[in-house]
Amino acid sequence: MQERIDRRMGGGRLLLGVIIVVLLAAAGAGGYVWWRMNAASGPSPSQMQAAPSPVVPRLDEPLTLTFYFSSNGMLEAGSLAVKRQPDAEMQAREALVAALGDPRTLQAGVFTQVRFREFFLDPSSGTAYVDLSPLQQGGVKAAASEELLALYALVDTLMQNFEEIKQVRFLIEGREAQTLAGHIDLLRKFTKRMDLVRQ
Amino acid sequence: MRIVLRLIVALILTLPSVALSAEKGLTVKGVRYFSYAAFTRIVFEIESAAPYVLTRTADNRGLLLSSYDGPFSLKGQLPVIRDGVVGGMEAREEAGRTFVVIHLDTAAGEVKDFVLRGPDRIVLDITRGAAPAAQIAQAVDKPKVVMLDAGHGGRDTGVVTAQGQEKSIALELAQAIRKRLQKDQRLKVVLTREKDQALSLDERAAAANAAGASIFVSIHTGPGANGRVYIQDPDEDLGNRPQQTASRDFLGFEAGSEQQEMLWGRQQAAHAKESGALGRKLARELDGKANAEPAQAPLAGLKAVDSAAVMIEISAGADRAKTADAVAKGIEQYAGEN
Repeated sequence: MQERIDRRMGGGRLLLGVIIVVLLAAAGAGGYVWWRMNAASGPSPSQMQAAPSPVVPRLDEPLTLTFYFSSNGMLEAGSLAVKRQPDAEMQAREALVAALGDPRTLQAGVFTQVRFREFFLDPSSGTAYVDLSPLQQGGVKAAASEELLALYALVDTLMQNFEEIKQVRFLIEGREAQTLAGHIDLLRKFTKRMDLVRQ
Repeated sequence: MRIVLRLIVALILTLPSVALSAEKGLTVKGVRYFSYAAFTRIVFEIESAAPYVLTRTADNRGLLLSSYDGPFSLKGQLPVIRDGVVGGMEAREEAGRTFVVIHLDTAAGEVKDFVLRGPDRIVLDITRGAAPAAQIAQAVDKPKVVMLDAGHGGRDTGVVTAQGQEKSIALELAQAIRKRLQKDQRLKVVLTREKDQALSLDERAAAANAAGASIFVSIHTGPGANGRVYIQDPDEDLGNRPQQTASRDFLGFEAGSEQQEMLWGRQQAAHAKESGALGRKLARELDGKANAEPAQAPLAGLKAVDSAAVMIEISAGADRAKTADAVAKGIEQYAGEN
């Protein structure tokens, strides 16, 4: 009877030992896989030391935008640093004011004859409204090609930088107008034209 | 009995306003017009709805608009209309009565008048009568009409350069091109303006449409050494505009009818192919390159032209005789092939 009991106890120890070995092997394999995965996707220790801290744009840092200006019968792309604004409408207005005051824009002549009046963005339709005001009573004097490039310089600048803007409409003195300088139809919507940009 | 009672109430309510209006007479604040392919619409903006009289002149070639009772006053200027349907408008005073005379031109047909409220307007619709149909019937024998449009004019000088004002250079060029084209018996050349005169873009297009022009060339000047040729950039909006639904406010030509569908400013869209062909001929002649192409632009002056139409921008400093030769040659080539 005593002998039978001892044999039973010996079989239980064997089973416990097997379980411990299996658990240790599984933990080891899991640890190895975890280590390999981290090594493959994460940065190496040296990289971790060199990685910069996450960039959070500060409101006082300027924002660099692509803008377009008329030059020798085509549009040219340039960069423009503008003050950062809290929303798309304010940012687009800021960009427009900066673009209209840039010496490269003013070389074209059309924008020396107009004053920026207002800018609105209708977020539901993605329509940006650019309101201009001629400085002279006789209106703006410009050739058709100059008028075309001047208007598309603004359209391309707005649409290239702000994905919220799907189309641009122009107003003169707060109202719809037929043309700015007698040629280009301002009663329609404008979308960007990159074929006018010098490659 | 109820109907009689309603009529009496309506009369009581209506009489004071009619009487007041009659005392005040008719005051026209402004006059606008629209030349459509099928009719011309003249809109008299009035201060308040009041009875008016519209009669025909004794020779049947004019319409007279005056106040039914009380004075008739006209504030502002009458527009210049010469679209083949209407030959002009003038304010006249005879025997102490003031009225507006609308001179009907050869293409004038039926006349409809009606009042719209809020703001109050008197609207006259004058159909384009039999003249254009007759013109179409004889088109085979008739020369093609080329309308040369000298850009700007009047107070609108256009660009001023060392070579002069754009309006003067454009007129000079138009006259030089006409001189060259007059030798071609297949063509009849007409200018939108013969002198220094202010014309709106719509008036220029209306003049071309009324003359039955097949070719419209708007002449402008600009910077740079080379000339540029522009054709109308198709407006995506035109294809997406919702169909107009009938309005109870509209008493003239039915909304949704052929006349209403032919909206002013959509005419050029039907001529994109012809305009492209004309633009190509002119670009190649002006540029001297066999592969020169016209550029597309949203042009306010071309959208209502009902024929092949281009705008050319000639270098202000270019040799005008050579330029006129090149443009005339391009027009002749296009006319010969189309």
